Amino acid sequence: MRKRVLVVDDEPDVVTYICSILEDNGFETATAADGEEAMKKVLEQRPDCVTLDISMPHTSGVRFYRWLKESPEMRDIPVIIVTGISDDFKRFISTRRQVPPPEGYLSKPIEEESLLMLVRALCDRGGSP
Amino acid sequence: MKGLKLSGGFSLASVFDCLPCYVTVQDRDMNLVSANRRFVSEFGEFEGKKCYQVYKRKSEVCDYCPVQASFEDGVCHTGECKVVNKAGEEKVVLIHAAAITESGGMPEFVVEMAIDITKQIRLEEELRRREARYRLLFDEAPCFISVQDRGLKIIEANRRHKEAFGDGVGRLCYEVYKHRSEECFPCAVQETFQDKEVHFREEVVCPVTGETRHVLVYSAPILSEDGEVESVMEMSTDITPLRELQGKLEQIGLLIGSVSHSLKGLLTGLDGGIYLLKTGIEKNDMQRVSKGLQMMERNVQRVKAVVGDILYYAKERELCFEDIDACELTREVTEAATMRAKEFGIEIEVRMPETPIIMRGDRNALRAMLSNLVENAIDACRVDKSKDAHKVTISAEAHDEEVVFGVSDNGIGMDKETVEKAFTLFFSSKGCEGTGLGLFIANKIALGHKGRIEVDSTPKEGSRFSVILPRRNI
Repeated sequence: MRKRVLVVDDEPDVVTYICSILEDNGFETATAADGEEAMKKVLEQRPDCVTLDISMPHTSGVRFYRWLKESPEMRDIPVIIVTGISDDFKRFISTRRQVPPPEGYLSKPIEEESLLMLVRALCDRGGSP
Repeated sequence: MKGLKLSGGFSLASVFDCLPCYVTVQDRDMNLVSANRRFVSEFGEFEGKKCYQVYKRKSEVCDYCPVQASFEDGVCHTGECKVVNKAGEEKVVLIHAAAITESGGMPEFVVEMAIDITKQIRLEEELRRREARYRLLFDEAPCFISVQDRGLKIIEANRRHKEAFGDGVGRLCYEVYKHRSEECFPCAVQETFQDKEVHFREEVVCPVTGETRHVLVYSAPILSEDGEVESVMEMSTDITPLRELQGKLEQIGLLIGSVSHSLKGLLTGLDGGIYLLKTGIEKNDMQRVSKGLQMMERNVQRVKAVVGDILYYAKERELCFEDIDACELTREVTEAATMRAKEFGIEIEVRMPETPIIMRGDRNALRAMLSNLVENAIDACRVDKSKDAHKVTISAEAHDEEVVFGVSDNGIGMDKETVEKAFTLFFSSKGCEGTGLGLFIANKIALGHKGRIEVDSTPKEGSRFSVILPRRNI
């Protein structure tokens, strides 16, 4: 069964890029343009992994991340932070003891191989989609 | 105490002598009939004297006398008053006066007990003085100080804070400081609650005057007796004048940071285009190739726009005024924006008179200004998922003395905080995509034309930017 990845980013070109890489490598994708839409998609589709931008209009990535990790049913879904401010986010999350750190970080611009390696590892802890 | 004996031979005098207060017995004429040893030792001999003569070293009756009151109604009275001992030292005593009556008749005597509370009064005064002093220091400290609880509610604020932000006590700090509806990220106060450490950060805040201010924020923990962070004190120093004086070099540093942040997003878009192009050729999928090319073109255009903004900002070039047609300028900007708007299915509407609107202005600068506003309007529509159809309206209107360019959209709109900071250098609400230069430059161009930009925006409904420029007075 193909693994499903939810790609959350407000920039359509970034979404297209990440989705193309993942779909070309056997993953199924779903997309969301902000945190609120991402919450809906997670509840509807329960993805195997989420790639998440931080700075987005409406509900930010931080808010979505907190919501996800505080949800008993959803907190196991691994999250890869894909943003230009990875270091800032890393520092921020490290100060929040009640929120676990994300499973992965990728800085923009994204390396195709790094993205695939991380998504594969997290989707099935090393298994292929 | 002289003359007082209890039945059975037990001496009441010895009891009174041991009491840690002054005890006297007075008759109706305020003559001191008896007194304990402590009283005599402090105030001297009392025989044949009135109480006010001994207690206060004066010749008139006091204005209020608890002893007299007890004589009048037969019940106990209390009062606080100043007395003077035989050494001439002033003391404060707490008086209890109780009437001594025989079988329900009129009181014959009143026993007065006076407790020396001079030390307590001094301590209270000292405490009040210190409190007033700390309050003064708190109020007059040359910074905005507030204290927040764990829910980020302001529980105390100094005078300068109240003057700058209004009465914020009881309200959420991010509402008061920034007019935000969500807590800030990152937040120095939250960090202090987490680790009990002092944190500092530079922020842009919005006082009630409407001018944004740059502040350096320090957050310090206020610990409870058991060592837990009870509340956090936030001290913000206004560094706006410093900011304004900072050299070009630092701004260039910020510019590089801001631009590189924006370029990261654009490079990812370009990478995406290259990826689609490459894999499209490999798969012989011309639709994918075409999509990849479009992505590349789009992101190259945006890189060009960013570079244009940087150059405009860096060069500080003089405006070059000439007679121009505002309608022609509006047409040029509209044509340039139409392609990008179409890609996202956004309709562009132009409203202007058929006859030219001649005005004095710098053609290139005004074109850059309008382009920035139109690009912003397209972005606001592009990220808005709440509506099926989006429209950007670009207009030019002629008035006797002014020309008004309008750019309105039905996109995501802006909250109060975003509107207030819209023209601040390096402020962007667009994440990776914004450099925080576009509107700063647009505003600068409008000001350079002795004009202004007005913003009207409602979250989830849309925004209107009106550029009001004088036609001839330059």
